[in-house]
Amino acid sequence: MTITYVLMQNLRRNPMRTLLTCLSFALPMGVFVAAISLIVAMVKLNALNAAQLRLAVQSRIALVNALPERMRAEIEALDPDKTRIRAVCGVRWFGGRVQNTPSVIQSLGADVDTFPLVFDEIGWTDAERESWAKDRQACVVGTNVAEQYGWKAGDRITLESSVPPNLALEFHVIKIVTTEGRTNSLYLRRDYFEESRRTAGFVTPGCNLFWLKCSDLAALRALQAEVDPRFANTPNETKTMDENAFMANFAQAAGDLPGLMRAIAMVVVFIVALVAGNTMMMSFRERTRELAVFKAIGFQGGRVFRIVLAESVILALVGALLGIVPTAAALLAFPLKRLGFLPLSSLEVSPIAIGVSIAIALLVGVVAGLLPAMQAYRLNTVAALRKIA
Amino acid sequence: MSGADIELKDVRKAYYKDRLEIPVLDGLDLAIRSGEFVVLMGPSGSGKSTLLHLVGGLDSPTGGSVRVGEARLENMNERELTAWRSRHVGFIFQMYHLVPVLTAAQNVELPLLLYRMSSGERRQRVTTALDVVGLSDRMHHRPNQLSGGQEQRVAIARAIVTDPDVILADEPTGDLDARTSEEILNLMNLLNSEFKKTILMVTHDPKAAQHGERIVHLDKGVLHREELTAARAGARA
Repeated sequence: MTITYVLMQNLRRNPMRTLLTCLSFALPMGVFVAAISLIVAMVKLNALNAAQLRLAVQSRIALVNALPERMRAEIEALDPDKTRIRAVCGVRWFGGRVQNTPSVIQSLGADVDTFPLVFDEIGWTDAERESWAKDRQACVVGTNVAEQYGWKAGDRITLESSVPPNLALEFHVIKIVTTEGRTNSLYLRRDYFEESRRTAGFVTPGCNLFWLKCSDLAALRALQAEVDPRFANTPNETKTMDENAFMANFAQAAGDLPGLMRAIAMVVVFIVALVAGNTMMMSFRERTRELAVFKAIGFQGGRVFRIVLAESVILALVGALLGIVPTAAALLAFPLKRLGFLPLSSLEVSPIAIGVSIAIALLVGVVAGLLPAMQAYRLNTVAALRKIA
Repeated sequence: MSGADIELKDVRKAYYKDRLEIPVLDGLDLAIRSGEFVVLMGPSGSGKSTLLHLVGGLDSPTGGSVRVGEARLENMNERELTAWRSRHVGFIFQMYHLVPVLTAAQNVELPLLLYRMSSGERRQRVTTALDVVGLSDRMHHRPNQLSGGQEQRVAIARAIVTDPDVILADEPTGDLDARTSEEILNLMNLLNSEFKKTILMVTHDPKAAQHGERIVHLDKGVLHREELTAARAGARA
């Protein structure tokens, strides 16, 4: 027999209470691991985005307001020497869905000439560039979208736009994109989209967004300060952001999920610390006499302190694992990558999240067990034994 | 296996409640021979349990000296007292205080966890201790599967497993019926006569007190009177 064995046996003293305490750790820890995974995914995405040196220019009023096509030339004119802007790409929301399916694919029409330059990180081959340039119906598809619908390069697909005039257009998949952050999107040629809209009577072309690919960070910061004043006091005032700020805005359109999850998780973990602390205090009070006997037969105060604290930490760890393992298993079994919205779609089990959650569970276990452990340490053996007599 | 002599000189102990001093022992002198079985009697509040706690190193005197064998307890700090207790004192309580989730053998083994000892040697000691108290056939039973008398026997085995010099028993038969009490007291006599343990036992029961060699009556924190028990007086005569 060892002290660890005694500890484990103590946890069996009141199995229902142990189970409920473990579950009170398990549920918030499950949420916590998901929330932290999300935050880790966002940090990763932000780092990727920041490296791309892109600026997003949209209508100051709302992203859905289209800006005139001519603004691209006006933006390009801000850098006549072409030393700061590598390319400008206009983008229009297509919002296609496969017929008779409910989910909208994050699909956008992009300028044919500059799209491969502005989104060069997706790894174009010469043949793919040529196909994109020559084939009006060309589209590049993120690997998650392709997997979801069973598409591969060379397929012909038909998508129905979710915005008026709700065109049903045929496309030719020329490339499957595996680059992180682009795996849930589909890009088509805007010229093909605009022509089809014109045929349907929608004569005003436009872009929801212009992406500026900058030469360096200094150019990006300078242009960010120049674009909005250029269009100030015009019917098309703009809002210019770097890619991370744009993505953050975009994510917040669906609600600040990470923030919300983090806040909920923090509150719940705090409550759990109180509940666990209360449970540990109850457990300590029930065993005051027993701990007094431990001290009477020669267990030092420090050892009794460690026994009570270890019990709390074990409870917290077991509870946390009960939450973390099923959450991780669920995320592995049912990945969210098919959800269109970033960063939720990039949520996957993060070892960092698991590590942080276990560390937090440890901390909660220590905090919850500290007071009863201190009381056990300071327990006046004589006074506790007097209660017996 | 042998006992230790105990010597208390001018021992004073006071507790404080709301800054009010409550004297419990007031200049007590007492000497107990090695291997003697002494019974403490007296009304509630007379200082019996306090005396037991001082001899067991669970508490320190306000004044005076307490010597058990070679150890001068009044000079030791709490850490030293705890370490000393684990080697030299075995406690038996009225309510047994066994750990309910451990078996009889595991309860007896508990004090041995403080020793550097192989598991084989621990097992050997536990078996011997349970054999002495006549419970070797119940070693894998949990406390709730034992009778009150059997639980107290396990507690006695726990008290003797470290081979202490002194056994301190605080009303060990207070929760038992007459027949079981007799069995437990006979066991205490066995520990005293066969293993030469020094035993200091608190009891309110005059019949139980007759199992000792000497009865010390306390009243208001001082030694009121001493007497030899009938059996011992007869033996001497």
